[in-house]
Amino acid sequence: MILLIGLNHKTAPLAVREKLFAGCEEKQNLLSDVLLLPGVQEVLYISTCNRVELVCVMDGEKETIQGAKRFLSQSGGLTDQEVADCLYVYRDRDAIRHLFRVTSSLDSLVMGETQILGQVKEAYRQALAQNATGLVLNRLLHRSFRTAKRVRTETAIAENPVSVSFAAVELAKKIFGSLVGKKIVLIGAGEMAELASVHLIGNGAEEITVANRSEAQGIAVAEKFHGKAILLENLDAAMIDADIVISSTGASGYVVTEESVRQSMRKRKNRLLFLIDIAVPRDIEPSADSIENVYLYNIDNLQDIVDENMKGRKKEALKAEGIVEEEVIHYNSWIKELEAVPTIVSLRAKAEGIVRQELEKSIGWMQKLSEEDREKVDNLVQSVVNKILHAPVAVMKEESSEVSSKGIVEAVRQLFRLDE
Amino acid sequence: MTLLSIELILFKLSLAFCALCTFGYLLSLLIKRVMLAKASTWVLMIAFGLLTVNLLTAFINSAGPLNLGSRDFFLFCAWAIAGLYLGFQFKTKTRSLGAFISPFILLLMIAAAGQETGKSLLPENLQSWLTTLHLAFAIIGEALFVLASCAGAMYVIQNGLLKHKKLGKMSRLLPSLHDLDRINHLCLLWGFPILTIGIIAGAVFAGMAWNTLWPTDPKIIWSLAAWVIYGFLLHQRLAIGWRGSRMAVLSCAVFILFLLSFFVVRFCFTTLHDFI
Repeated sequence: MILLIGLNHKTAPLAVREKLFAGCEEKQNLLSDVLLLPGVQEVLYISTCNRVELVCVMDGEKETIQGAKRFLSQSGGLTDQEVADCLYVYRDRDAIRHLFRVTSSLDSLVMGETQILGQVKEAYRQALAQNATGLVLNRLLHRSFRTAKRVRTETAIAENPVSVSFAAVELAKKIFGSLVGKKIVLIGAGEMAELASVHLIGNGAEEITVANRSEAQGIAVAEKFHGKAILLENLDAAMIDADIVISSTGASGYVVTEESVRQSMRKRKNRLLFLIDIAVPRDIEPSADSIENVYLYNIDNLQDIVDENMKGRKKEALKAEGIVEEEVIHYNSWIKELEAVPTIVSLRAKAEGIVRQELEKSIGWMQKLSEEDREKVDNLVQSVVNKILHAPVAVMKEESSEVSSKGIVEAVRQLFRLDE
Repeated sequence: MTLLSIELILFKLSLAFCALCTFGYLLSLLIKRVMLAKASTWVLMIAFGLLTVNLLTAFINSAGPLNLGSRDFFLFCAWAIAGLYLGFQFKTKTRSLGAFISPFILLLMIAAAGQETGKSLLPENLQSWLTTLHLAFAIIGEALFVLASCAGAMYVIQNGLLKHKKLGKMSRLLPSLHDLDRINHLCLLWGFPILTIGIIAGAVFAGMAWNTLWPTDPKIIWSLAAWVIYGFLLHQRLAIGWRGSRMAVLSCAVFILFLLSFFVVRFCFTTLHDFI
């Protein structure tokens, strides 16, 4: 049985997630501890800032589930109430589906984000290193990576940016093509403006100039980006060379007026200029947008793009759920087939045993035959046995993957007296 | 199989491929998928290859380089535009530009199909290496202006989308403003001197044939006007720094104007250039 137990951002508040996360991180031998629980055969431990989950392969039912639950609640020091409210337990098909949804980032806070796949891969690497996984989990994880890849390539779920700073980067690319060598002027400082700068630089933008009212603050921000700092008074000169201007000051009036943009456009020979105004109240006079070759986006414009993209991702998520379901069915039938495997193996072993016995018995008269003829008899017997076994084995596989292995396996064991 | 029948088969094939890529490009705009535009670019490349071979066989088939067939004239126009556009593909990733270019190529191919196969373009008294030079350079120059205008048209659309803060599927499909502006710039920069050479070749021929450099002919006046206006645009671009949306709008407007005047001249006046 596959069991998935844990909590995530949807079921547990941050305080509970933190407690469990910290508790589990403290345990040096978490995986081997779980393996010691009764009935547990394989285990994987996934933890990110949004989720802590254990995936186990186990035999036995209630006791082992209780054991795993107890293990988690003790590790995180969770109260009974918290366990009841926050922990979810998925079994078999549901567990497979949940893991596939997690790796495909359908269960993430920001749907379609790409980090989670790396995190699950890392968790799997750790489990592999400690020999905590086996046949079932290995296949499950590989299948989940495959699912994630399919979701990524067959749907547009990760395509359009869903954060303001990435939306700014996308816009910049639509204006400038490549951002390599583009110059940024950052007016004021703020988390979002700095984040946008980081992403722009990550995409090739090179020079960054920080304009600030206070020199000391400007230098502090500029140092982060290896840029230079200027005083706000000298902004007009800096705008002549700039390609992208990001503004987020706390000023109550306009820091950049339409007139100043107009003048700088003349001096920069009408080269394209991308103005991003993240400040509230606004820093850049809105009418500057009417100037030719100037593209002014304020925080609402960017947010609208993000909202639109989010809607798009939700639509794509429906397609992704379909892919996940397909993969779940695929894996599930494999695992059910697996239940018939021991019986198939013993059936084959029994048949081989009989063949060997009978050949040994016939050794007397077979000696009269030539080497070549003996080989022919050998092959003949083997192929008769294989042909006879082929149908029961195939039916057993089919029946187990499509319905259940229980009835057919029992029947085969009885018919061929495999348990004697 | 005779060379002539090979030529005919090649022509039919390249016409089919042109139609296919035009269809693909337009569909890519409609369903907003870049993949389709990419595939169409490959189809166009095949069409271009076929056209090249087609022109080569036509060249071998013809009585000589001076005796260009009137079908080959249109083929040459289509070939020049396709070749120049594909050349830009190597420089910039502007695949969806094909949706604007390929209909032109297809129209030229259809025009070529309407011409008789054996008919030569120029009347005998006008056949000279100078007229061939004149035609070739004028065609390439005009083809570059066609490209400049197509890039301009896309620029106008993309600019409108970005100004209205609509970063939708359409905007994502179209190339960036910078790339489009660059194509417009390069086309003007190269198109102008090439057209100049073409015009000079024509004038020298006129000087030799009729003892006047500028015979008063509506089509010549029309061409000179085009030359002056494109020169003006190029000057404004290089010296004054007109660029971006203004250049895009102007190149489109000028192009439409010339296309209209071309048809007016073509069907309302008799000119020395009546063979085109």
